[in-house]
Amino acid sequence: MNWITAGPEIFYFAASLWFLLATFFREAPTLTPALSGGRREHLTGLFLASLGVLVCLVSVGQEGFLFIRAFRVDLFSQVFKTLIALGLFLIVCICGDITDIGERRHHEFYFLLFTCTLAMMLLVSADHLLSIYISLELSSYSLYILVALRQNQSFGLEAGIKYFLVGSFASAVMLFGMALLYSTSGATYLADMARVLPAIINQPAVVIGLLLTLTGFFFKLAIFPFHFWAPDTYQGAGNQVAAYIATASKVAAIAVILRVVASAGNGSVYLVHALVILSVVSMTLGNLAAIVQKDIKRLLAFSTVAHSGYILLGILVLSPAGYSGAIFYALALLVMKFTAFMVVVELASDGRNLQIEELAGLHRRSPIMALALLVSLFSLAGIPPTIGFTGKFLVFVAAIEKGYVALVIIAMVNVVISLYYYLLAIKAAYLLEPARELPPLVVSFPKKLLAGVSTAVIVFAGFFPYWLVQLAQTTAQTLIGSR
Amino acid sequence: MTPAPFPFLSAILLSCVAGMLAIILIPQDRQVLIKQVAIFFSGITLLLSLYLFIAYDRGLGGFQFAESVQWVPSLGVNYSNAVDGFSLPNLLLTGIVFFTGVLTMWELNNRVKEYFALYFLLVTGVFGLFMSLDLFFIFVWYDVSLFPMYLLIAVWGTTRKEYGAMKLTLYLLAGSALILPAIIFLWAKSGLNTFSFISLAQPGLFSRGSQIFAFLLLFLGFGILAGVWPFHTWSPVGHVAAPHGVSMVHAGVLMKIGAFGVLRVAIMLCPLGWIYWAKLMAVLAAVGIIYGALVGLRQTDLKYVIGYSSVSHMGVVGLGLSTLTVEGLNGAVFQMFAHGIMTALLFSSVGYIYDRTHTKLIPELGGLSRTIPVASTFFIVAAIAGMGVPGLANFWGELVVFVAAFKTYPVLGIVAVLALVVTALFMLRVIQKTFYGPQNQRYARLQDISLWLGTPRIILASVLLFLGFYPSFLFDVIRTASVPFMSGLSASIPQLMMSGLH
Repeated sequence: MNWITAGPEIFYFAASLWFLLATFFREAPTLTPALSGGRREHLTGLFLASLGVLVCLVSVGQEGFLFIRAFRVDLFSQVFKTLIALGLFLIVCICGDITDIGERRHHEFYFLLFTCTLAMMLLVSADHLLSIYISLELSSYSLYILVALRQNQSFGLEAGIKYFLVGSFASAVMLFGMALLYSTSGATYLADMARVLPAIINQPAVVIGLLLTLTGFFFKLAIFPFHFWAPDTYQGAGNQVAAYIATASKVAAIAVILRVVASAGNGSVYLVHALVILSVVSMTLGNLAAIVQKDIKRLLAFSTVAHSGYILLGILVLSPAGYSGAIFYALALLVMKFTAFMVVVELASDGRNLQIEELAGLHRRSPIMALALLVSLFSLAGIPPTIGFTGKFLVFVAAIEKGYVALVIIAMVNVVISLYYYLLAIKAAYLLEPARELPPLVVSFPKKLLAGVSTAVIVFAGFFPYWLVQLAQTTAQTLIGSR
Repeated sequence: MTPAPFPFLSAILLSCVAGMLAIILIPQDRQVLIKQVAIFFSGITLLLSLYLFIAYDRGLGGFQFAESVQWVPSLGVNYSNAVDGFSLPNLLLTGIVFFTGVLTMWELNNRVKEYFALYFLLVTGVFGLFMSLDLFFIFVWYDVSLFPMYLLIAVWGTTRKEYGAMKLTLYLLAGSALILPAIIFLWAKSGLNTFSFISLAQPGLFSRGSQIFAFLLLFLGFGILAGVWPFHTWSPVGHVAAPHGVSMVHAGVLMKIGAFGVLRVAIMLCPLGWIYWAKLMAVLAAVGIIYGALVGLRQTDLKYVIGYSSVSHMGVVGLGLSTLTVEGLNGAVFQMFAHGIMTALLFSSVGYIYDRTHTKLIPELGGLSRTIPVASTFFIVAAIAGMGVPGLANFWGELVVFVAAFKTYPVLGIVAVLALVVTALFMLRVIQKTFYGPQNQRYARLQDISLWLGTPRIILASVLLFLGFYPSFLFDVIRTASVPFMSGLSASIPQLMMSGLH
């Protein structure tokens, strides 16, 4: 086993160890007395996160297996690891001022973030049912605690418990599904299953086993009917934690669903039917429920449910075009959701839950934040020329190519519905004036830079999508090719 | 396809984008500078579109000034632009309305920078759609011209602006919700893995069933934007709510995008679908003409009057497009141009009146021709044009469409001509109540329009007069596209020219 192949995992393991050790030496005299504790942790986290992105970029070309073929390293996994590392870096960027988690807990906060990232990297590489399970559980447990860390006890704890209960239930169901798969196919490695499953795919036990296994990932992706945790958890968790769940966690879930469906799914009509129903209901329910939300994080949670529906549409066509659409969409989701959450974090500097009406007057208080919000919300709605539109476009092209015209029309109708609630938020930012006079928002230069860059990326990648589309298509090819 | 010696079309787009960026970089308080920059860049687009119109080789015809760059080869998306006899008049129309629209908003002083930046973005989308030869880009430009409308209306608008903005945006996006699947459907069915219009326009590429299905989706999708009855209700509300310059673009150009989309994408790519649905198109168009006229009769707000008259006049365009004849197409495209100019002039004139009196309600205005004679003249000229009086541009558009309609659908043709009477009725009524009759003392001291402020209106009125006396200026260009298209069609579909279809 080549150590460099496991580069990203080893790095993130070391990084989380660093923060774990830091908790032991919290009271010890520090090397940098000038910096306050919170600042120091943030800078360390930022440094390690950016180093992590570099490590992942360097390891993109790696291929191989780890730990008796339990983990597969190929272009697909490495690209997703880079996305997850990027997500972590972006989230750490907005963690400069975590007011709703007590300072003595900051070490644990970063420790859990890095552990979760490590777990997600293992997840996207996993090639064995048990390694999938372990990685999924590790990431879930880190997130449960992260959610509960919020200082306002009632919010954080309640959200954490809800998340934990739904998540445990989902894992239990997933284990049962895995057991069914094993008992019918005799295979536990995904590679073996890809060989064995097509012959027996139409047995009811296999279909059910597959669906139940996917349940665990649908829970992470917040697909109906496993999405009930999402609104409450996003609302109850700290803003940065909610941002992390909304971005990196979804990317990992998409990756593992793609792996499992690509290796096991081909040829099953029942699976496709089930996915169609889940996709349509997720889209519609997510969009309709978001219309009445007053809390921005709940709105973004329901919009995540809707987006998961669109992504599932790309996955269920079971073609390379569909997979590349889903992969591109994962990247788009990362950038768009991050930008939206970045504005929320910036506005709610005391860590409180932001209501839509608190966006009022944003165009005067901080034009660049208002612009970032505008662009990210339009991108989430799928209006060209943004990265969100390109993602939807790729998914729709793949779907119509396979004849799912009605589904695409339903998806487009959902796009119209979703625009309504995004416009409500934009209206608040650009049109409404706040009830009390609010002070102008002082945005530090790094934050402005971040806002500007993410806005530019959203628009640029929507207008000149060539490179990213190529990347998505090549990645999808490795997914097919390895089977 | 004649390639362009110099990328004029991209230059038009570039000057819009450059203008927008320049405006964004100017500090907010330098309002006059912002407006001057806006005039400069919009003037460039006007000059370029005028140049292209004159330089277009009428003898050669076809697509000229073509330019193409590969965009996403794996999907067959190319950034390709060109103009032909159908798009060139619309391009010129956009240039004229854009320039005069900027001039009309000269007196704006609320959030000037954001207004003009969004305005430039809006027009970029409009220009892009008219010149694009790639279905993917046609859709992209459609939506680019759509989302600034929400902000433009919601922030700077007047009556019921939030409701109007939301209704307009959602309705038009619903239209695009039908267009995108149809476009991708055509892409998938062609088997050529391309979105290029030229490749997809080959006859016999799509089966009759596909054409009928796609045409319906495209007609409904683009038709919503064109104000086809009964999907027109976003239009009057949007017209009323929008600020004047935006109304000019909205009624003058945006609705033409819808009609042009029907022509370029639906009719030219799915001719069998066109033949199949022509009767329905004609009926909806005729209903629209009558409905717009009758409802306009009852309105008391000047902008609502203009809004409903737009629905009525766009019905004339729709009628022309549904006759399946060369004259019908000629008349429809001519009417698109003439109506665009006329309605821009109407909104521009109402804008001046509203800025001075802060009301658009007819009962409150009266005798304005005595107070502000020059400003009133502009409105009256436009209203007379709307009635189809000879000597002004709209006469020719309506004449040709009605002649074509009589040939194909005699009954509907008669209905449409009767609607002309109703249109004349409500236009004259508006003129009488607003500009003649007893003066409202509150507005007796209004200042008449100055030369600078009157410039956009003078430009628009002159275009109407010019085309009224010299319509072949426009018809020559339109014919270079309509004649080859229809003759190519009748060669492959013999039953096209006969009456009593299907």
